Amino acid sequence: MTDNQKKILEMLAEKKISTDEAYRLLNVLGSEEGGQRETPGVQAGTITKPKYLRVTVTPKEGADSEHADRVNVRVPMSLVRAGIKLTSLIPKDATDKVNDALREKGINFDVRNIKPEDIEELINALGELEVDVESGHGEKVKVFVEY
Amino acid sequence: MNRPPMLMHLRFKDGKKKFGLWLPLFLLIPIALVVYIILSPLILLATIVLWPTGWGKVALLAPWYAWNVFCATRGLDVDVQGPREIVKIAFI
Repeated sequence: MTDNQKKILEMLAEKKISTDEAYRLLNVLGSEEGGQRETPGVQAGTITKPKYLRVTVTPKEGADSEHADRVNVRVPMSLVRAGIKLTSLIPKDATDKVNDALREKGINFDVRNIKPEDIEELINALGELEVDVESGHGEKVKVFVEY
Repeated sequence: MNRPPMLMHLRFKDGKKKFGLWLPLFLLIPIALVVYIILSPLILLATIVLWPTGWGKVALLAPWYAWNVFCATRGLDVDVQGPREIVKIAFI
């Protein structure tokens, strides 16, 4: 915890600022110090590439294990990379059909524009992906990247 | 390029039925190579015939891309456990 964060919390404890104001101040402070904070995949100045995409579904804690579903999927990023590279194999006619189908679904995207350098950028961007969902039944769904 | 997976572990369970298999992929790779060499004249023919349609490139490069995808599966792990069913597929 930084000095500024401590000061904000002290001001909140002394009721000099409201909870909302403290929250806003902490957010602003967080975004300002974001560049200094350690981000996933960045260790001691070197950027490590994401290795696996993980999807886990865990049942509610204490749930009967005989009636609970568990999912644990680990997809290597190299497989994602190889899959995207397959798009370069698609002939022009088929690409047009894919583009038309995407346009019909409201996605204005040309699959011919996917280039190898974009793939790396996309995979590195995936490194910041983190989805954490908890259902009403207590099931937890997590999608994250492993380094 | 990654090293290809050496083993594939399959495990299925549905009620009382169970099935598990350790597939030695490293033994299947030489067999696949022999099949590819045998089929290569047909692949070449398909490439020539399909070239004007644009699918010739697919026929020519598909084995290479398939090999790349196969190598990339190393580390893939799917583990789904239900109340009565289990599905596990792992490439090691």
